Amino acid sequence: MKALRMIDATIITGALLGLGGVILVFFGNPANSGICISCFLENFAGSMQLHDNIRMSYIRPELIGFVLGAFFMALQSRRFKVTGGSSPIIRFLLGFFILVGCAVFIGCPIKMIYRLAAGDLTAIAATAGLIFGVWLGAKYIRAGFSLDRVKELPQINGYIIPFFAVLALIFLLLNPSFIIIGEKGPAAMRAPIYISLLLGLAIGVFAQKSGLCITGGIRNFCLVRERTLLNGVITVFMTALILSLIMGQFNLGVNAQPSSHLSHGWTFLAFVLVGLASTLIDGCPFRQLIKAGQGDVDAGITILGMTVGAALVISWALRSTSAGPTFEGKITVLAGLIFSLILVMVYRKRKPA
Amino acid sequence: MDRFDKFNITVIALISLITIGMLANQEIIKRRLGVDEAEAAEMALYYAEKMALNAKIYEEVISLKEQELYDEAMTKLQDIMKTYPGKPHSYVYLAQLSLKTGKLADTIHNYRLAVEKDPDYMDKKTPLFIGHEVKELVKESLPKFGREKKLKPKDKTVRNALKDLYYLQRVLAGGCE
Repeated sequence: MKALRMIDATIITGALLGLGGVILVFFGNPANSGICISCFLENFAGSMQLHDNIRMSYIRPELIGFVLGAFFMALQSRRFKVTGGSSPIIRFLLGFFILVGCAVFIGCPIKMIYRLAAGDLTAIAATAGLIFGVWLGAKYIRAGFSLDRVKELPQINGYIIPFFAVLALIFLLLNPSFIIIGEKGPAAMRAPIYISLLLGLAIGVFAQKSGLCITGGIRNFCLVRERTLLNGVITVFMTALILSLIMGQFNLGVNAQPSSHLSHGWTFLAFVLVGLASTLIDGCPFRQLIKAGQGDVDAGITILGMTVGAALVISWALRSTSAGPTFEGKITVLAGLIFSLILVMVYRKRKPA
Repeated sequence: MDRFDKFNITVIALISLITIGMLANQEIIKRRLGVDEAEAAEMALYYAEKMALNAKIYEEVISLKEQELYDEAMTKLQDIMKTYPGKPHSYVYLAQLSLKTGKLADTIHNYRLAVEKDPDYMDKKTPLFIGHEVKELVKESLPKFGREKKLKPKDKTVRNALKDLYYLQRVLAGGCE
């Protein structure tokens, strides 16, 4: 594992993500949602009774696998560093807004790639939005934006999110009465636990090694023309595309696409928010999970913000359905953009005149 | 202020204006469609249906109670409770019949069960409100059970009745649930 070069690890992670997305759908996950961090967090929030939509209530083993895979890999490679204390409440709020952005598009950046690879042309607006948002974020970073400095924290802080992942696994296996496992709707569409968990663990291990991040790949390219992570992102797309074609999951077009709607303008804006906010906190939703597994407490706070967002997008209807985004969802996307831009102004270190 | 700040301020102002515009427009649409009135009407309908259903289910119990045939009413109520287990309104009638037959501790306990199962019974804004009769009961029973506790400090029935009374008193006092 030590001999594995960064670029190889990125390609392997990308290939595993692409493979996972299609294989998990084949084994039972919802169409185009083999892996979707935002959808899975909505499921998780439901299973914890943070919202009451039983159709969206399940503890997805993939999420547990990502965190624990990253945790074990970080421990094994001595990269488990417990850091945090960088603008926690801001990261929490940005996590919340990222989740709302994802819910308005109906999917996280990884699902955006799957949807594109499955021929869903409505995801083009999201791709354009994500690239624009990340580009904007990269511009702000270059212009002096950075959140507060991170500090080293006592070790126990880094073990809390991995501990929650183990606890979630116990809940999933033992199914105590306070845990809701939906038996209809998307919650009932699930691959066998061991397949989901093993794939999640494998992806977590390689994602920790490679640092693969959807928005990070675009950001590095925008900032310094560095392509390592971007190659991983392209690999996700190519693998998912080839497998979708082979397994008959490819359906080119705008209409009749699963988890989609036709409000392209709102899709674009929602993913501008996701791209911008993810760049400001240094990582897409998937990357936040991996970082939380390797001891990054700030990423853990972001995940908590995303989990609250996952509950509220359902309870307050801050999301889209096949009919399009709700009014509340639209307003929250705009509020998220305003918040992100104010943040950029406040946290920019300006060059002396 | 550099070009980034100027750009940011312009974009923030623009998005804020759009947001305010959308909110204002939504409010106008809501008023035009009478959404608030529709919600109130929907709530009224919900309670009307609930009360009509209760009247139908407990028709015989009400009739027997009015004829002061309390034992027969109790038997009928127990049959209903087998058909509709856990229905909060059963506990209201159970409490009222217990009161008529002089079982004060049972009355208090059943009012507690009803209120626990459906907080609407203590909500003045709903037609299910029975706060007045519960308040009256608490007012009369508290001194009585207080005296009994002094005489029989270890009596479980008295202690439980007092616990239930204090619970009802707290609920009557209001506040967050």
